[in-house]
Amino acid sequence: MTVHLYHWEPNANSGKPMLALAEKGVEFESHYIDLLKFDQHQPDYLKINPDGTIPAMVHGDRVFTESTPMMEYVDDAFDGPALKPADPKERWRMRWWMRFFDSYFAPSLSMIGWSIFVGPAVRQRPKQELEAAIARIPLESRRIAWRKAMFNEFSEAELTESRRRVHYCTGILEDHLARHEWIAGTRYSLGDMNGFNLGYALPLSQPDHCNDARTPHIMEWLRRIYERPAARQIWSLGRTAMAQRVKFLERPAHA
Amino acid sequence: MLELYHSEPNTFYLKPLIALHEKKASFQSRWFDSDKLEQFALGFSGDVEAHLHLEREGPLLLHEGTLISSSFFMLEYIAEALPGESLLPESAHDQYRMRASGQFLGAQLGSLVPILGCIKYLAPRLAAMDRTALDAKLKDVGPQERRLNFTALLDGTYTPQIQATARERLKFPVARVEATLAAGPWLAGPRYTIADIDAFAMLRVVPDLAPDVVNPAVTPRVCEFLDRVAARPAVRAALSTSRSGTPERHFVPGVEPSRWG
Repeated sequence: MTVHLYHWEPNANSGKPMLALAEKGVEFESHYIDLLKFDQHQPDYLKINPDGTIPAMVHGDRVFTESTPMMEYVDDAFDGPALKPADPKERWRMRWWMRFFDSYFAPSLSMIGWSIFVGPAVRQRPKQELEAAIARIPLESRRIAWRKAMFNEFSEAELTESRRRVHYCTGILEDHLARHEWIAGTRYSLGDMNGFNLGYALPLSQPDHCNDARTPHIMEWLRRIYERPAARQIWSLGRTAMAQRVKFLERPAHA
Repeated sequence: MLELYHSEPNTFYLKPLIALHEKKASFQSRWFDSDKLEQFALGFSGDVEAHLHLEREGPLLLHEGTLISSSFFMLEYIAEALPGESLLPESAHDQYRMRASGQFLGAQLGSLVPILGCIKYLAPRLAAMDRTALDAKLKDVGPQERRLNFTALLDGTYTPQIQATARERLKFPVARVEATLAAGPWLAGPRYTIADIDAFAMLRVVPDLAPDVVNPAVTPRVCEFLDRVAARPAVRAALSTSRSGTPERHFVPGVEPSRWG
């Protein structure tokens, strides 16, 4: 059965199943959904995922729409190297950190990202066109998010709090990686793939808070992941400058 | 050695109690009074995952030196690590459904139900406490969002409009559960799993907190589901650990609502 993956850039939620599939050695048919053109709210895509969120994965007659549980499905359903630790305690830690990334770190980081990248990328279009695009969004929570991004409605207080949380979370992650080689503990897992999608560009977006001097363990962790063939393969699929930021993780030639 | 740190068997605290009873696991109950904020004196602040408490409040499970937090992942841990009746779906697809349910309901019910429960039951108790003593208990609580969850109950944050919005937003996750139950009695495949425990622990109080959202006329399948789970011996055993006799009236703040609005 062919795996069909509907995704945007190798970044955040879209990149999570992309990287998991590549690490597992599962070939998939890629369907690029352009977030900035609102492809995810078009009727063809809504037939696959009525919520209009990306990514979505189709395997046989099964449809998967939640990116982190989707990663676990990839590990459970296909042959290939195990992407979860065998020890239940390490599996628990992997899951805890994925939720930390998904529900605490990512929303703040993405609010900053949407305010400086996604919003400006679509804001030039006529207001009527943007309003029509919002009206097509199925979920109320996504309509609110898109409206804020399109019309720059993030308050300075919201952005300040997001920056505080990003810096706080970066410190927590650095401390964790100082104690553990990988997110779950002793082996590379879905937790690292999740975290890489969230954080591969942290050294560029937060240069004062994530760099070789202040967060050496995060920097080394990101570089180790980017050196993996699966990460190289997936980030080469990127079409925008956003995904190209990963090249910052190349080690200097003399290193 | 298995130790569960918990308060009254409701919402987050109820989940592992049910799962441990389903497993017939031998464990030491470490009960604390969350109404008196005794959870801040447990002494686990050095553990980063327990300190951060992604749900902000909730149970802690200490097993062989490892502190397990976050109630849904605690359920997965109990299901995976302890012997006894299987509480996991068999197929990879049903396991996905179980995890997707836990993630979705964790964000939706995990934020909305505690807000409504705390406003109705915890806020009056906090208001009756000496404010200076309360502030002293809260002043060093971190991360700051955890502390603010409590002060928000006293400072007028939850206006009638916000409460009405919370009730209205409950309809979305409840409708999803109602729709899922149209396909069968359980949420993640043909048998009872931790997805059902997870949903039951949060939904069982909604008929009290938002009677227009969950009732036999509007959500007949959810009501039948609640009755079905409540009839299980392990659930009755978990609820019988209550010291107050009214566990459904004891709440702690929960997951932060989306900061995007």
